[in-house]
Amino acid sequence: MTSIGTGYDLSNSVFSPDGRNFQVEYAVKAVENGGTAIGIRCKDGVVLALEKIISSKLLKAGANKRISTVDRNIGVVSSGLLPDGRHFASRARDEAAQWRRTYKAPIPTSALANHMGSYVQMYTLYSSVRPFGITAIVGGWDPEIELPVDGQVGSGPATGSGGKKEGAKHGGPFLYMIEPSGLYWGYYGAATGKGRQSAKSELEKLDLAAGNLTLEEGVKEAARIIYAAHEDSKDKDFELEMTWVSSLDGPTKGRHQEVPKELLEEAERLAKKALEGDDDDDDEKMED
Amino acid sequence: MFRNNYDNDSVTFSPQGRIFQVEYASEAVKQGSVVVGIVSKTHAVLAAIKRNAEELSSYQKKIIPIDSHYGVALAGLASDARVLSNFMKQQSLASRLTYDRAIPLAEITLRIADRAQSNTQNYGKRPYGVGLLIAGVDARGPHLFEFQPSGVTQEMQACGIGARSQMARTYLERNLEEFEGASREELVKHALRALKESLAQDKELTIENTSVGLCGVDENFKLYEHAEVQEWLETTFENREAPAEEEGMEVDSDS
Amino acid sequence: MNHLPQAWGRPRDDVYGAYSNSFLQTSGPTTHTQSPIVTGTSVIAVKFKDGVVIAADNLASYGSLARFTDVKRLRKFNTRAVVGFGGDVSDMQYLDRLLSSLDIRENYAEESPDAQLHAKNLHTYLSKVMYKRRSDFNPLWNHLLVAGLDGENKPFLASADLLGTTFSSPTLATGFGAHLAQPILRRTVPDEATVASVTKEQAVELVKESMKVLFYRDARSMDKYSIAVITKEGVELKENEKLENQSWAFAEGIRGYGTQVN
Repeated sequence: MTSIGTGYDLSNSVFSPDGRNFQVEYAVKAVENGGTAIGIRCKDGVVLALEKIISSKLLKAGANKRISTVDRNIGVVSSGLLPDGRHFASRARDEAAQWRRTYKAPIPTSALANHMGSYVQMYTLYSSVRPFGITAIVGGWDPEIELPVDGQVGSGPATGSGGKKEGAKHGGPFLYMIEPSGLYWGYYGAATGKGRQSAKSELEKLDLAAGNLTLEEGVKEAARIIYAAHEDSKDKDFELEMTWVSSLDGPTKGRHQEVPKELLEEAERLAKKALEGDDDDDDEKMED
Repeated sequence: MFRNNYDNDSVTFSPQGRIFQVEYASEAVKQGSVVVGIVSKTHAVLAAIKRNAEELSSYQKKIIPIDSHYGVALAGLASDARVLSNFMKQQSLASRLTYDRAIPLAEITLRIADRAQSNTQNYGKRPYGVGLLIAGVDARGPHLFEFQPSGVTQEMQACGIGARSQMARTYLERNLEEFEGASREELVKHALRALKESLAQDKELTIENTSVGLCGVDENFKLYEHAEVQEWLETTFENREAPAEEEGMEVDSDS
Repeated sequence: MNHLPQAWGRPRDDVYGAYSNSFLQTSGPTTHTQSPIVTGTSVIAVKFKDGVVIAADNLASYGSLARFTDVKRLRKFNTRAVVGFGGDVSDMQYLDRLLSSLDIRENYAEESPDAQLHAKNLHTYLSKVMYKRRSDFNPLWNHLLVAGLDGENKPFLASADLLGTTFSSPTLATGFGAHLAQPILRRTVPDEATVASVTKEQAVELVKESMKVLFYRDARSMDKYSIAVITKEGVELKENEKLENQSWAFAEGIRGYGTQVN
């Protein structure tokens, strides 16, 4: 930590002589201690998954959901300071609502990521605020068909061109990750939090850019990756929280929802099995 | 020399990504006297130790009824709790007025949590110096939430916060299995026993220093104090030494 | 000649005299909606032992012109609440969006149906919205019926109008229906006590008959309509029903208008 004692790291929005904003870098440190969160963009939807460390036996099991729904078709999961994550999600919901008031239609995932990137960035500009202590993953499905405008109650005239282009492609699955600096990228597979390194290397193996992975496979891979990423902090109990959003004709009908219990349990069973398999391999190697 | 430069305000991260002002605020919670809360399938209970500044002074309020379906117990700065509880009362009333609905506990908890969070991200504010247990019953059944100055809120099966509350939590963890199916009376007894665990050696639970808040499905939240907790104290600690109890009764008959 | 941009498109001063800006005055008292523009007519509803039946035709009139003929005036809110709109259609669309945003907020967390807003909650909310707007002298020009189930899953039916007035009864009708359908509905369901003995089939039949009478006598009505039945099983909404077994035999006997003199 060369920064300590130089005085350039004591206030937000201050550059050090070598052009760094230390307060933002320290905010990233808060993220690095959080439970692992990942998102996978599959060909027919998006999966979000979170490793939720159980800090106390007294917590109500299965409550305390941490992946939030924004509008109806977008999910947000974050790693880092919990209350900052809620602030982020709450702002995202406001942005989506405001978009609807203006355009009478749901916000595209890309526009939400863009707005939230700007919002997070604002918290790096002033000494009167601190940056967000989270990295957020935003995943959503933008409708592939033309939806009725909000408030539309009839179909209007049946004839007339309407100026539509035939065969134009709309919507699909989208995934973004927003960092404390406000920087964001689109991803095929995104990971953040404590176990991000191992999660990233697992995600890279999936060849997501090819676009062959189905949503259901994605759910199982996500569970496996979270279980694998948890290996480093094995001493702590955790709950796996997982949500998904599919196309309008898929299992969630374009909505962001929790993964159904049966599928979640099946995915967890397979994840545990895969881990045991790894252990066996390790044992064999050791025997060798 | 070794002064911590990163603990002057709540808008500065330390190099490890910690916010010391928020952590210090959590220490204020540990200065407050202990409160515990437990939920069963049918009831939610709060129990608290009240402190008095001196012999002749009154006891500090620890449990605040908010709406007919829930109340809060506090540990830490009582004045901060009053600000938060006033806000909760307003919000609860607004829900009843606009929707004719008892505000869901998860919702009201999130609203104060979001307020607390903004105090940790903006200069010129300070984090709240109080921890709350929010207990009651809504359309989804009985609930217990823990609120911390950092803005962290968690739904709990049982919880204890305040001075020496680790002892209470140990008791709660040990008896965790029994809570869900416990009856109204059993639940209160568990709460009082957990409270007793956190008490200093020479202290006793008396009708002066004990508050109980109770709420159930088809039972409004009610604060029980003084004579109303006597029977619970007697049945919970049957083999207790007599003097403390008699002393309590005398004061009661005087008032 | 003045070639400055601010003179473009203006009458020439040298020909017509100086342009009077008084026509561009925007000051004066603020005015709000004084009357509805595109309107829907009656909504009728009746309670029965397990729920509520509600219906409205699919017409939106522009004055006396039957302007839009596929306008859906029943809006499902969730599995236990439906709102029927009479009055201004654009205000209905505003309320529809308002309900959508409420629905989005209510569904951030996945909840069991029992924990969601029920018809009574929704009616309280809508009546506050209506009353607020009338108190701002900017009313939403609608008369709403909220039909569904209350917190105990019992049938619930109530109305709220543009003044914020609320009313509840086992049978309700707005607009022309309040005069023409309400007496017919009351013949079968005169009071709250009778509700328990009315079956779903009876209630649906009663509503259909009333819709027919409304079509016979209300010039702003149509024979295509929507009908919803709300019970514990959920909402059964049909939006393209056609009035059946119409008989216009009575028309011949009507005297006093048209080409007839007496």
